[in-house]
Amino acid sequence: MAQSLQNKLDHVHRLIKANPYLELLGAEAEVIEEEVIVSVFGAPHLVGNINLPALHGGVIGSLLGFAATAQVVYTNNLHASPRLVNIDIDYLRTGKPIKTFAAAKVVRQGRRVANMRAELWQAERTRTIAVARVQFLLDQ
Amino acid sequence: MLPSLELTASLNWVIKSMSMFLKSLKELPPFGEALGMILEEQDQGAGVAVLLPGHGRVSSSDQGGIFHSGAILATIDNTAGWCIRDHEDYIEGTSMATLDLRVDFLTSAALSETLRVRAICDGFDGSLAFVRATAEVVASGVLVATGQATFMLGTPNNPANV
Repeated sequence: MAQSLQNKLDHVHRLIKANPYLELLGAEAEVIEEEVIVSVFGAPHLVGNINLPALHGGVIGSLLGFAATAQVVYTNNLHASPRLVNIDIDYLRTGKPIKTFAAAKVVRQGRRVANMRAELWQAERTRTIAVARVQFLLDQ
Repeated sequence: MLPSLELTASLNWVIKSMSMFLKSLKELPPFGEALGMILEEQDQGAGVAVLLPGHGRVSSSDQGGIFHSGAILATIDNTAGWCIRDHEDYIEGTSMATLDLRVDFLTSAALSETLRVRAICDGFDGSLAFVRATAEVVASGVLVATGQATFMLGTPNNPANV
């Protein structure tokens, strides 16, 4: 059992290694009670507004998308990323350039499409920085 | 009547300083630099255009060496913001916050290509701006992604208030 969990997480880690863009973000992943939690350290090159300073909206969007991808890959034990159809992000608060987390849950998964809801937070999970609706096509 | 040589010279000076001013408006944020975005300053089309050349750092190689969706999304977000600052009614210094951004990924694009992201501001008033954007392959014109974003203007530029 523990080994199959590790195996499923390996797919997520392989996903990061196979995506240089995720490495540029410095993305990491861990699993806590079947939930994949992805994170980035708020490195200076991830900043979008140097005056605030704030994380780039594209970094926030990318991490939400990755959280959803990682959860789909983990839940279904996939060997490659499914095709991202679209993502719709609501920015609720400014993201500071600090450690940032994101996780996603499956709203509905059918045979062909997975509909996900992702959220992103920093110091406190209840203080949501951004949320997103994410859809994947699975039968590629 | 032709303008005098002196007037032409001073007009040129005004245009030159204005374009320098516009350029400073569009300084790349650190993440734009990290991705290798390039503002297309000579672009004659509508709105604002930004190029994203294919490169390892924007790639998703487990899907066969294509642009990562996140890199396309980030470029659309950046270009959308710039297109508001480029709007004729935008007052320099007004702060801006993205309320939402939706991106549809129509097809994938090979890393050997360069993408052009174009953002056009459809609605602009003192409080809100509405932008739509496209990402296409420069060489073929193939549409790769479309986006739509809403921005709030004039929010306090202070994280303590957000």
